[in-house]
Amino acid sequence: MTEESDILRIVEEDILRILGEEKSKRVSLESIKSEIKVAYLFISNAIKELEREGLVQSQGDFIVLTKEGLGKAENIVKRHLVLENYFKIKRTRSEREAHKITDILEHYISKEVIEHIKKLSTFKTEGIPLTKLELNKEGIITDILFPGYGLFERIVSMGIVPSEKIKVVYKIPDGMVIYVGGKKFALGNEIAKGIEVLG
Amino acid sequence: MKLRIIFVGQPNVGKSCLLNALVGPEVIVSNYPGTTVEVTTAKKMVAGEEIEFLDSPGIYSISDRSEEEKVTEKALFEEEIDGAIIIADSVSLERSLYLAFQVLEAEIPVVIALNFVESAEKKGIIIAHKKLSKILGAPVIPINPLTKRGMEELVNALLEIKETKGKTFTVRYDDHIEDAIREVSSQVTRTQLPKRFVALRVLEEDADFYGYLSDKRTIKAVKEGLIEHPKVAEDIAITRYGTAAFIAGKVTHLVHVEEAARSLDERLDGALLHSLGGPILTILTFVTIFGALLFIGSWIQDILTGFTEYLLSLIHLGVGFGGTALEAGLAGMMAGISIALPYVFIFYILFTLIEDAGLLSRFVVNLERFLRWFNLPGRAIIPLALGLGCTVPATRSTRILFTKKEKFFTASLLSCVPCSSRIAIIMGVVGYFGSKWLALSVFITLFVSFLVWGCIMKRITRIEKKPVLYELPELPPYRIPSIGNIVTKSWIRMKTFVYLVVPLLFLGGVAYAGFDALGLTNVIVAPLSPITWWLDLPNVAIIPLVFGFMQKDLTGSMLLLVLGGKVSSVLTPLQIYTFGVAATIGIPCIIALGMFIKEFGFNKAVLLTAASILYGLLFTGLAWRLISLF
Repeated sequence: MTEESDILRIVEEDILRILGEEKSKRVSLESIKSEIKVAYLFISNAIKELEREGLVQSQGDFIVLTKEGLGKAENIVKRHLVLENYFKIKRTRSEREAHKITDILEHYISKEVIEHIKKLSTFKTEGIPLTKLELNKEGIITDILFPGYGLFERIVSMGIVPSEKIKVVYKIPDGMVIYVGGKKFALGNEIAKGIEVLG
Repeated sequence: MKLRIIFVGQPNVGKSCLLNALVGPEVIVSNYPGTTVEVTTAKKMVAGEEIEFLDSPGIYSISDRSEEEKVTEKALFEEEIDGAIIIADSVSLERSLYLAFQVLEAEIPVVIALNFVESAEKKGIIIAHKKLSKILGAPVIPINPLTKRGMEELVNALLEIKETKGKTFTVRYDDHIEDAIREVSSQVTRTQLPKRFVALRVLEEDADFYGYLSDKRTIKAVKEGLIEHPKVAEDIAITRYGTAAFIAGKVTHLVHVEEAARSLDERLDGALLHSLGGPILTILTFVTIFGALLFIGSWIQDILTGFTEYLLSLIHLGVGFGGTALEAGLAGMMAGISIALPYVFIFYILFTLIEDAGLLSRFVVNLERFLRWFNLPGRAIIPLALGLGCTVPATRSTRILFTKKEKFFTASLLSCVPCSSRIAIIMGVVGYFGSKWLALSVFITLFVSFLVWGCIMKRITRIEKKPVLYELPELPPYRIPSIGNIVTKSWIRMKTFVYLVVPLLFLGGVAYAGFDALGLTNVIVAPLSPITWWLDLPNVAIIPLVFGFMQKDLTGSMLLLVLGGKVSSVLTPLQIYTFGVAATIGIPCIIALGMFIKEFGFNKAVLLTAASILYGLLFTGLAWRLISLF
């Protein structure tokens, strides 16, 4: 049940991402059409909207990022990378498949997270275990590695998911208290080791 | 017409509080995540229709992982319900939506009650509830159970809850997963449950749902076909949460709010979660509760005893067996009430206070490392602490634990945790007729017996060692508890005691008078004399011990009866100590045995009770012999 405005937003973000991934920051309308498989009407409307916001410029059959659009596109690309990394490298999927899932999921991340990625000066793809995250330093979850589905699902339902922000607020014997999504939880180091973060 | 509505929500989201506001104060409201362990029901009449509400334990997900989740799951799928109220936390909407999506996947109509709207606004989180309602295809109503905001709209929405069926939001998974869902769905038979839902649960590795498939081999075939999703269950969970976060993000408007400097909450946590200070503060709190119990309790006990004696002196029931029996019954009842009631009530008030203030969850974290000696999870502290009040509700609360072994082990430990009635024996008999120091040594002996019993049970149950804090307890924000809430809650916890125990006290007294009149006391005394020999107690002392099993509060009054009131001249201090220990170790009474049967089945319950009593007698005999060596 996706509304039209959602599709528009998703397409807009996709266009920005495609432009951001391209070194020249210039992409033909044709390649956008072939990569985003939605009705052309959505693409042209999305481009119009992006132009109105001053993020892209049409140059004949090509679309170019503006200076403002460049910043936004880079954030989208970084966010995309976190998830793609999660699905591709961690899950040993084919690259094409990873792309597809990421395309669906990246639109689910909150704006706050983009802001957070923006702050990271260098973008690393490999996370560190939560146990190695500095106290009171905000990290971003990149992966959750547990042997069974039970614990995995439990942790995900508590809001501990890739792309969420996380902070270790206290160290306790053999464990820690974390702050994630507005709530505090206590957990042991053994479990914390299975949560990978980007410091 | 009758509507059955179930409450579903995360721990500590205000479920019971809402139920309270909707129906009345007969529901327990907690600030310890996970105090409601069974489904409570309450009824309300609205516009000629009866709405029955089912409260359920707080959960993050309805998957089949812990008892709490099983209770909710059972209520959702096995009871005939017309819909669910999802109590959503405005501060963390996506977690609530995750749960809501699972319920919607089961095609159960929902109404979303948006709680904590005001506190979210203070944090700069504003939720467009109408937009959310449009997206979900279900009513979303901002509520505040304390000010009764939204209660009328909520009830009205419930009356029309069935209308939403089939028009609600469903999470879409990626194409491969959707194909797999379709394939599994086509194999679903033998159930009223929606096929898509069953298929999802099968793909999420929930073995309980495998039985609904006409051919179980499908599972393996479908999973092998999903090369793109080697871990399909995990991808389902991630997509579901992702969708929840996406929708939450869409309807949430963030306003920048200046954050207060290091708040009181942080400072409290800094102290309470300190690696050394935390456990010390925790133990100090329990010692304080214990002290308060003894001092305030004995003070009230004095007043009540005086009052009881005055009352009994006014009543003359005449002569003959009937009169004597009635008088003995009344005496037993009044003695029990004045000895035990003050302790039970004060204990529950104090316990509820630390629970509602948010302290209890910190204590659980601090005491976890001690319970790990027995391979028990931190939350086992809840039933053990409740055991200081009454063993019966404490046994029931072992349901918050994850496995049967953990439950049984924890419940068995209650045989060495003195309940208020046993504390009353130690204080009222050992402390009163012996000395305060003698009473203290009984408590110490109990603690030692607790450790020994724990080590034995650890060997027997062989619970696997689990990662530290693997249950990930939530640490809720501290709250100033409301007095009304505490009194109501303490009363509900005491209700069993008053309605069940008080009549038994009366019956116990009558039974003793009957035994005495028929000259049957010897029937008990003679065959059990080896026990009293082992304990080095006068033979008649077996009477209070046996009757004590009928009802613990009879122990003290019976001892006075059989010894003719002259405890300190008949028994030596060592014998008083021995009697105190013998009367307190073991599954305490027949009511507790009943609860054990209910929770663990007849065989296990009887075996455990017999073993615990035997252990108690053995331990007591060894204890006094050891002490007499010095």
